[in-house]
Amino acid sequence: MDNEMITAPETEEAVAPAPAPVEDDSKQYSPIRYAFGAVLAFFGISSKTHRASKKRAKLVGDIVTYIVLLFGAFLMVYPFWWMLAGSFAFTNTTEGQGSLQSLIWWPEYSTFTAEAVGPFYNYSETFSRGMTKALVSILSDKMSYWRAVLNNLIYSIVPVVVGVITSASAAFSFAKIQWIGRNVVFFFLLAAVMVPGPAIMSTQLAMYTDLQMVDNWSVMVVPGLFGSIMTAFFIRQFLFGMPTSIIEAAKIDGAGYFRIFCGFVLPLSMPAIMAQGLLSFMGCWNNYMGSFIFIDPGSEWINLPHAMYLMNNAYSVNNHLGPVIASSVLCVLPVLILFGCFQKLIIGSLMLTGSKE
Amino acid sequence: MEENITAVAEEPTVVEDSAAVVETTEEVVPPKKKRKPINQAKLQDNIWGWVFCIPLIVGTVWFVYSALIMAVLLSFTRFSIGTGTESLMEYLGNYSSHIATTRPIVGETEDGLLIMGEAYSDPFVWYKQIFTQTGNMGAVDAAGNPIMMNVMGAYLFNTVFYMIGIPIGMVLSMFFAVCMSRDIKGGNLFRVLYYVPCVASTIAVVYTFKLLFDAQGVINSLFGSDLNWLGDHLTWNKVSGGNSQAVFMCTEYWCQGIIQKSVVVIMSVWKGLGGTIILYVAGLSGVNAATKEAAQIDGASGWTIFWKVTMPDLYPVIFYNIVTSVIGGMQIYAEPVLFWPDDKSLTTISNTSGYVSLIWKNGLTPPSEGGNTMPSAGAAYGMFLAIIIFFMTLFQFWLDSRKKD
Repeated sequence: MDNEMITAPETEEAVAPAPAPVEDDSKQYSPIRYAFGAVLAFFGISSKTHRASKKRAKLVGDIVTYIVLLFGAFLMVYPFWWMLAGSFAFTNTTEGQGSLQSLIWWPEYSTFTAEAVGPFYNYSETFSRGMTKALVSILSDKMSYWRAVLNNLIYSIVPVVVGVITSASAAFSFAKIQWIGRNVVFFFLLAAVMVPGPAIMSTQLAMYTDLQMVDNWSVMVVPGLFGSIMTAFFIRQFLFGMPTSIIEAAKIDGAGYFRIFCGFVLPLSMPAIMAQGLLSFMGCWNNYMGSFIFIDPGSEWINLPHAMYLMNNAYSVNNHLGPVIASSVLCVLPVLILFGCFQKLIIGSLMLTGSKE
Repeated sequence: MEENITAVAEEPTVVEDSAAVVETTEEVVPPKKKRKPINQAKLQDNIWGWVFCIPLIVGTVWFVYSALIMAVLLSFTRFSIGTGTESLMEYLGNYSSHIATTRPIVGETEDGLLIMGEAYSDPFVWYKQIFTQTGNMGAVDAAGNPIMMNVMGAYLFNTVFYMIGIPIGMVLSMFFAVCMSRDIKGGNLFRVLYYVPCVASTIAVVYTFKLLFDAQGVINSLFGSDLNWLGDHLTWNKVSGGNSQAVFMCTEYWCQGIIQKSVVVIMSVWKGLGGTIILYVAGLSGVNAATKEAAQIDGASGWTIFWKVTMPDLYPVIFYNIVTSVIGGMQIYAEPVLFWPDDKSLTTISNTSGYVSLIWKNGLTPPSEGGNTMPSAGAAYGMFLAIIIFFMTLFQFWLDSRKKD
């Protein structure tokens, strides 16, 4: 290992010749400085006395990088571990009251140690009584936790599946069909992204009330069915990279546009469609604003984040937050599993966005 | 240009003349109509082009553009959901009678007398309210009177305060992105791990952070501090130990809730880091390797290469990131409100809530929570926000164009 250290030849020259001017005397390296340089070189840093080898510099740099990245990754992941551990804290009794506050790795008083309740007490509490307790204050008992989960599934699967297809069809039209004014229409649509959501949300509430879409499923589903502009934009970008000759060949063989779209464009742009669909699924699953604005908490059509919000309001009164954290885990887990399965696709799509911009 | 104008001006007369000529000749010999045959393929293109993008056009026009136009119109009126007899469409149909007119008011006093009067509905009432409404921010001055200040200013200050997270997040994510783009094993794994917070539900993350930053929570026990992260109304006097009531230094305002706000900043940096890192990693992989190598051979240090070669290549990504994060940062609402539920009263200033809370308070608070769902007021506040965001974006693009010159 030590052989990798290279003593720079010019330093030896500087040490060896005796008749040197006064200025050079000051340049003579003391043993301490020399040793210090050696140590630095061992850690891959070149100094005046020693030049570190490239190999060593790379090794040390890699180790430092790993330490930094691992530390960052720990910070990123720790709150999720905390969430998982916290969901096993038993906060219902006075003994367990502070166990969420003092939790670092594992709760002092967990549902595993608490007798008379099963290890998954918080989860069963969430499923069985969570919503009943949450809805007492607003005098409604229409909901169960499973209903909120079901609603959330409807709100995130239906609009995403249909919406991605409509977005893809629009993208196909903009990228591959030569019609008059398509660029004008495209930029007209793209300009809609500039309109900030909060600026029009109260007007949208008035509009949806007028259409009787408020307080039921339609307000969370219908707007999504028409597709989203950003999704269309990314799929369009993807389609520009697809050779037009395929479409022309199909046209010569007598396929109509609808046939071309279903038979060629959809299968060929599947990676982009899947990635965009997954991203918007996650967005819809985590969408709290829509439900907060348009759906009354007393209605049975609230989604999962809204149900969690109501549960938190009910349970935080007694500082009995175990079930709330358990429901947080249940809300985060499906998305994390989905992301874990398709991470390559999603990250690849996001990278493509980054390199395009 | 002048020639063009004259040409255009002259044209109509020429056309008229020729038309007259045609008319006279038509009586004699009807000319054969030589219509160009329609190119079937092009016709098909035009029809199917529209067919394929009509759903997206309908959705955008319906849910964004019509809502935007209605918001502009409503912001000059006093429309409120559930109180009037008219629906929104009828209300907008009678728009002229709802804006800037005098109209009679009919009311009953306790004696049962009918009082007729005239009220002038001011179209700019909500816009004036934005700038004039003052609120109590929960602090008292030396004399014991509550300190009043402009509501919009206070909320906008909170919003801008949260934007401290943008530069912090950018520097951190650049640092991590540079680390990740070394050729080390497992770079992909790190990219995935750092992106995990981005896909997690905000509400779940907020409830977790609320407990992490509890007064007896992990953060305090880890660092041995006893800060009341979530509840401390830190004032300048508490920081300096002084007793200042100077308007600028203390105001009980600049520093109020500064620790609470910093928790939100920490959380949003933590949550947004992954997305930015991926953008930067993508940008870094696109940096011209040949230029880098040339600089290396010329003896440039790693630091110099980073600033002189990598950064200029990354500029478009950074610019895109700044623009999108400023637009997103102006719209912060849920994070602070989930931490500290907003007071529904219009004249109570929150130390933490962002500007969008005002839209919420004015336009969306349902009657069950003691509010009045007044889309007109919400729309006016929303238009003001849209204008601010628009000009901020414009300013950034102006800076961008100036840099290129």
